[in-house]
Amino acid sequence: MLDKRIAQEVIDCALSTGGDFAEIFYEDRLNNRLTMRAGKVEGVNSGRIHGAGVRVYLGFQGVYVYTNDTSREGLLACAKRAASALHSDSRITAKPLAAHEFVNIHPIAIRPSEAKASQKIEKMRAAQGVLSQYNEVVQGVIGYTDSEQNVWIANSDGLYAHDRRTYSRFNVSAIASNGTENQTGSASPGAHMGFELFDRTVDPEAAAHIAAKQAVTMLHAPVCPAGVMPVVIDNGFGGVIFHEACGHSLEATSVAIGTSEFSGKLGQKIAADCVTAIDDGTMPNEWGSENIDDEGTPTTRLVLIENGVLKNYMIDRLNSRRMQMPVTGNGRRQDYSFAPTSRMRNTFIAPGNDDENEIIATMGDGLYAKAMGGGSVNPATGEFNFAVNEGYLVKGGKIVHPVRGASLIGRGSEILTRIDRVGKDMKMAQGMCGSLSGSVPTNVGQPMIRVSSITVGGR
Amino acid sequence: MEKTAFIKTLLKAALDAGIEAAEVFTSYRDSFNAMCNNGEVTSYQVATKEGLSLRGLYNGKMGYASTEAYDEEAVAMLVNGVIEAATLIEDEDVQEIYAGDKEYVKIDNYNPDCDKVTEDEKIRFLLEVEQKVKSCGDERIVQVGRTVVSTSSNASQIQNTYGLDLSDRDNLAFSYVMAVAKEGDRVATGMGMDFSRDFAQLSSDKIAKDAVEEALFYLHASPVPSGNYHVIIDNHCMPDLMGVFASLFSADAAQKGMSLLAGQEGKQIASECVTLMDDPHMAGGLASSGFDAEGVATYTKAIIENGELKTMLHNLKTARKAGVKSTGNATKHGYAGTIDIAPTNFYFKPGEKSLEEMMADIGEGLVITDVSGLHAGANPISGDFSLLSKGYTIEGGKKGRAVEQITVAGNFLTLLKNIRAVGNDLKFFGSNIGSPSIDAGEMTIAGC
Repeated sequence: MLDKRIAQEVIDCALSTGGDFAEIFYEDRLNNRLTMRAGKVEGVNSGRIHGAGVRVYLGFQGVYVYTNDTSREGLLACAKRAASALHSDSRITAKPLAAHEFVNIHPIAIRPSEAKASQKIEKMRAAQGVLSQYNEVVQGVIGYTDSEQNVWIANSDGLYAHDRRTYSRFNVSAIASNGTENQTGSASPGAHMGFELFDRTVDPEAAAHIAAKQAVTMLHAPVCPAGVMPVVIDNGFGGVIFHEACGHSLEATSVAIGTSEFSGKLGQKIAADCVTAIDDGTMPNEWGSENIDDEGTPTTRLVLIENGVLKNYMIDRLNSRRMQMPVTGNGRRQDYSFAPTSRMRNTFIAPGNDDENEIIATMGDGLYAKAMGGGSVNPATGEFNFAVNEGYLVKGGKIVHPVRGASLIGRGSEILTRIDRVGKDMKMAQGMCGSLSGSVPTNVGQPMIRVSSITVGGR
Repeated sequence: MEKTAFIKTLLKAALDAGIEAAEVFTSYRDSFNAMCNNGEVTSYQVATKEGLSLRGLYNGKMGYASTEAYDEEAVAMLVNGVIEAATLIEDEDVQEIYAGDKEYVKIDNYNPDCDKVTEDEKIRFLLEVEQKVKSCGDERIVQVGRTVVSTSSNASQIQNTYGLDLSDRDNLAFSYVMAVAKEGDRVATGMGMDFSRDFAQLSSDKIAKDAVEEALFYLHASPVPSGNYHVIIDNHCMPDLMGVFASLFSADAAQKGMSLLAGQEGKQIASECVTLMDDPHMAGGLASSGFDAEGVATYTKAIIENGELKTMLHNLKTARKAGVKSTGNATKHGYAGTIDIAPTNFYFKPGEKSLEEMMADIGEGLVITDVSGLHAGANPISGDFSLLSKGYTIEGGKKGRAVEQITVAGNFLTLLKNIRAVGNDLKFFGSNIGSPSIDAGEMTIAGC
């Protein structure tokens, strides 16, 4: 743990050359990973991540120095190195550190270290049992990961906070083959939970059925035709469209320096009336939830877009200075080896009023994207792309047959205005989101939505 | 605990606990990274990061555990972690700790001058790059998105209870910038990048010029109508595509039924003009090393020769299973990773023609210069890809207009068979994977 007196010394040292804010982030984390292939436990790997980073600001300048040497001397050397990069004649005095108490909104019932490896393996075997029922599934890889991250954050505003984040995730990948072609299917549910994950939200057998069915369905699917067409995107991981097409462009990382297509558009209409979007870090035990962010700010529920109007950006501490706007509890980082920046948490399109059957029945000819893969975006231009893992061709409002190999491309600002239906049943799904401050757990989510026209990549 | 003492204690504790053979893999990294915006340094990051992993054979099974804290607690955690892991593993593939080869080719990837460059000099370079974009003289360049300079110095070491002790050291400096061009409501970005083991070799002129030219070129890009086009994939884009599909050549993937190249050795899997090299001894190569992550001596070989698949990439485990020798392609994704397989310096052998000559041969078609979203839109297990792309048209055998917001789709194995020509412009853009431009034949494009 981070000793409060040492933290105070480190902060004082970091401010010694004129910095106007200093922070220390100290992390100790245990990771566990189990993998099973073809029904046999193949990999067991445990690791301890341990280090600390010191950050100093002077105006809009930020310096970050990190190390694995967390002895008092190591931390002070780190602070000194950070301080040496900044020079100013003014000096501020750090406030005395006071323990920052907050309510733990994500209680953990069974810590991962309290569950036996054999119990974890039992869950994996249950999934393997399901995969074995599918003749065309030739390979299955099942993974279980857990992580217990202890963080201590102290800063020159007097904050001294400790938080423990516990994550558990289960993933199943299935490969279906006919000898000359392979197709894949996967499911990766997880939560900010311990081993109670399996009592509350994750059914290993259900995850295996999803992965196997997807692989088998795609094996029998012809390739998706290319062209511009209406697209219906289902709930759950379909929310990746909002995450890529819009979410990243609402992060202060690109808004603050004016490279986002949504810079300077607060209060303006950026999406269709039926679109309300929220980024919420407070949802109990959700994958993207926290008590405090990695800068020690309590997490929040933030309305990003309300009935099509841009309401809020996601803002971390350094960018809040640049933007002269308050922080929103979105400062996140993969671990101590990254300086934090504004990141999404649980980000979703709120439920609407449209009937799911009607959405497809009235779409004419197009694509129904039942399961989405990942994607990426260039925030400056808004150009995004993402993969459709399980798609179906629709003719005259009727689903005709599955199609493989489809991708969706476009610009965020255009897609948001072309959403013409939002269903009632919102679901979220788990992902790892990569950006400047590394890879962090985020939920994407939405009800079923329809985009009136979008470019579909295919063959 | 001091590192050398820690490793000694650890290996002894491992043997004392009944681990039959044990190995420690250590990695150390010193890095500097800075960004600027409008003449001000906005991010300045200095780091030392160190970690090690222990792997060991216990009852014939290989367990792994890793740490970044070198205390007493860590010794027990690692030894117990390895034993617990080995006890749980059911996979029957035989694994081994390697006693070493007689000789290793010496590779020098370390330029001591790079470590002498001061942080102030690096910052000066960073600001210079941004300034050169800003003062490029074209008013359509309205902004500099992100300017980065980064240097790192890395060391790794393999030590095991058979007495093997190998170490590697390398360093790298790179810098990149994103230029933003605007005209009316059109926005386009361009990237410029340079990398070298010698900081003094980085060119701020080149970085700024590439970024500005790319942004301006794509400012008025638009899609082409959907359809089939004769496509050239240029030497910038082809390595990105190869990177995703490199796992097709892994013997581990093949043995696990996860590569469509399983059992294809000796067969024609690509067009005759294709020769694919894995060259761990390439001068200046980012993946150059005399030994792999298991301590096996590396060597240069053709993976595909004139279209024929000569060998898969092996580590000790897959080689033993296949009854061949390891090809020295064991790798570790970071110190904490388990042993896997990856190519070293991996490239298509260049052909005769320049990109211009290839365009002239084709007459009408498309050159693809950039693909996005590879982690999602390309699947190494099925070989399928469908990717957001940029590029330009080929009209009358010459470079035509800029194209964006299209997708190019296909299957990597089909693509290998369809390659009609390989260009003479082999290049490595800050990666261990390189390629000349290739004439990919007909491909499906989704556009407008």
